[in-house]
Amino acid sequence: MWLIRRFGGLFGMIAVVVFFAASLPETFLTLRNWLNIGQQISMLAVIAATMTVVMVMGDFDLSVGSMASLSGIVAATLFVQDWSIPAAVAAALAVGLAGGLFNGIIVSIVGILPFVGTLATLTVFSGLAFLISDGRTIFGRDIPAAFGDFARGGPPLAGVDDRVLVLPNLVIVAALVVLVVWVVLEQTTYGRRLYAIGGNREAARLAGVPVRPLRLTAFAFTGVGAALAGLMYASRVASANPTQGDGLMLTAIAAVFLGMTLTRDGQPRVLATLAGVVVLGVLDNGLTQMRVDSYVREVLVGTIILIAVGLSALGRDGLVRR
Amino acid sequence: MTQFDLSHIGRRFGAVQALDDVSLTLGSGEVHALMGENGAGKSTLIRILAGLDRPDNGRLLLDGTELPPANPASVRAAGLRFIHQELHAVPGLSIAENMHLDHPYPRRLGLVDWRALNTAAAQALGRLGLGRLDPARPMSDLGPGDQMLVRIAATLIGDGLRAPWLYVMDEPTAALTSEESERLFDVIGDLIRQGAGILYVSHRMPEVLQLADRVTVLRDGRRVSTRPLSETSQQTIIEEMTGRDISGLFPDRQMDQTPGPEVLCVAGLRAGRVVSADLSVRAGEIMGVAGVAGSGRGTLLQAIVGAIPAEAGTVTADAVPVGGSPAEAWRHGIAYVPRERRSQGLMLGRSISENVVLPHLGALARARLFLNHGRQRRLARELGQAVTLKAASVDQSCRELSGGNQQKVLFARALAGNPRVLLLDEPTRGIDIGARFEIYRLIRRLSAQGIAILMASSDLPEIIGLCDRIAVMRDGRLAETLDAEGLSEAALLARFYHVDKTEQVA
Repeated sequence: MWLIRRFGGLFGMIAVVVFFAASLPETFLTLRNWLNIGQQISMLAVIAATMTVVMVMGDFDLSVGSMASLSGIVAATLFVQDWSIPAAVAAALAVGLAGGLFNGIIVSIVGILPFVGTLATLTVFSGLAFLISDGRTIFGRDIPAAFGDFARGGPPLAGVDDRVLVLPNLVIVAALVVLVVWVVLEQTTYGRRLYAIGGNREAARLAGVPVRPLRLTAFAFTGVGAALAGLMYASRVASANPTQGDGLMLTAIAAVFLGMTLTRDGQPRVLATLAGVVVLGVLDNGLTQMRVDSYVREVLVGTIILIAVGLSALGRDGLVRR
Repeated sequence: MTQFDLSHIGRRFGAVQALDDVSLTLGSGEVHALMGENGAGKSTLIRILAGLDRPDNGRLLLDGTELPPANPASVRAAGLRFIHQELHAVPGLSIAENMHLDHPYPRRLGLVDWRALNTAAAQALGRLGLGRLDPARPMSDLGPGDQMLVRIAATLIGDGLRAPWLYVMDEPTAALTSEESERLFDVIGDLIRQGAGILYVSHRMPEVLQLADRVTVLRDGRRVSTRPLSETSQQTIIEEMTGRDISGLFPDRQMDQTPGPEVLCVAGLRAGRVVSADLSVRAGEIMGVAGVAGSGRGTLLQAIVGAIPAEAGTVTADAVPVGGSPAEAWRHGIAYVPRERRSQGLMLGRSISENVVLPHLGALARARLFLNHGRQRRLARELGQAVTLKAASVDQSCRELSGGNQQKVLFARALAGNPRVLLLDEPTRGIDIGARFEIYRLIRRLSAQGIAILMASSDLPEIIGLCDRIAVMRDGRLAETLDAEGLSEAALLARFYHVDKTEQVA
């Protein structure tokens, strides 16, 4: 029984992969398809990994999606004004840092609930994106070719059918971000103090953990992650519009929750988050290949998240006490 | 007279025989105390009694008629009511509504009849002499003591079942002040006079000696004895609970010990409820902080550690001023064991080692940033041994530990940084007698190592038996400091209420 409780989520994930491998024997288990999945999920991986940083404290950041849209718009707008790629990218990341710090201030210093505070900044960032772009998509010759090529390029892996498969740069970026977040959360005092805040905020404070500065900076982390994901998105589609990152927020939170079903103590952990991201990516990829209608796909994915998180909640507390 | 029997109850969890052939007879008109250390099987017995757990063997009998096991509804129908230490109150609702949480609201024309609701509540309150409480006021206006009395009164509201006659009270005074406890005892007296019976579970020996008619002691899942109070004594009960002879609860002072230099110095401190406090504690000295609830006894420690901001005054450790935050205090060698170990002390879901190293993460890390997991676990293991912590491993979650062992985790945390000063707020609250004895010995030993200890406690024997000097708080002022040697409880209590002429003028 404990086996199911402990590893049930993992079995479920393996079952999903096996199911698609059996249903799509030609295409699903090929290197090409997995590189494709990797590229598709790299933005989500970056946002979900940095979202994990605030979620270990028991907080949320709902503004990441609109921050991703805003950062893409900022970079594209600066491209229009002939900024260099490094300068525009740096500026967009700075916007992410500023937005994250602002979230941190309203949550930790002002004391607004993260749900309410970041819901408000979600609207603010989204409005700013529309304001800056005039509501238009920026694309075509306004975006430097090198910026769009970055997403398409990468170090070559192997030749298949006369075409060279590359390890997408976006996957490398996402892997680096996950690695950095893993080191920060699992290997530094900073990360363990964030976990302590999530474990019991008052006890952490009385044990000398500087709760306010830590919460503030953790939100900055998430802001920068969101901005980076927005840039990756803009590079992949070689354009920017003021809503393109919006969908990432809910999926990222879903990925963290899916990951929490894998950890022994039910805490968010970045590698578990990554597993959640992969599952969502695999589901999306497999269902698309099986030509499942995209609306049906959304219903299915939502239902699967509910079942996974629900089973895990039941496994942890049991039915008896309800 | 009504009688409820637990007959030859047995319950095993895996390898642990939690209850082994335990029989207990509960009758109306008497207070039956159930005592035992943590892990003796009290909680399991109460869960079985409440129908929340199914025994492996044995029966529940109401006046000789067997009740179906593991059926809370039938236990309720048999007239049993359970009062737990944790209050399940809804602060935003009125007292009357809280009293009706598990009763149907009176209704008229399908809508809530507010007048009848308040009348029913007022009648129930009146039966326990609680007429002073207005049922229309919000529950949040009441302290924890009154909230508990309201819960007891709520059981008197009729619901068509058999009227309640047997109350099971599990550590009811754990969160109460001594005045609130006294009011609870009055209500218990009222209930007994009205023909009810009480099963009273508590660690607090004086309460049991004051209230109980009969005392049952459990140890390691077995019933050791059931005796009328007149045929037992504190000494006997403790020996039966622990299975060992505890001739003196408080370890002796080491006489050759002379206090060292002043380590902790507090001057003109004003913070929250504390109006003014000056004190100094020497190395190797145990200073007590005593006073009635609300006197600022616990607040003083919170102010010293910087958990509440100081409005005036200074705190120095080894003559170095300490800034106003817990982080600063820990850095200057001031360790703090807070009063509420669950809400203020521990990360319950986390491992012992995570809890122990929390304030010292930086000191234990490489370059103050990168964790050294091996070193953390080694330290947690060493300190666990030093404080006689009983746990499967340092990876065990603190939620699974008994109250006494949870407290020892907090002591291990305090010691991990080799503190100069140790602040203890109610260090033995809600802890069984065996663990309490171990904590007393630990406090003595730390003091002998030259740590300056400041300890707030509402337990008079404890504070007199353990401390060298006692600071008495009155209305937020540190009014005087007494020598503990030869002080009687009565004499100390008198100082709590003493009003000085000069203070009146001020």
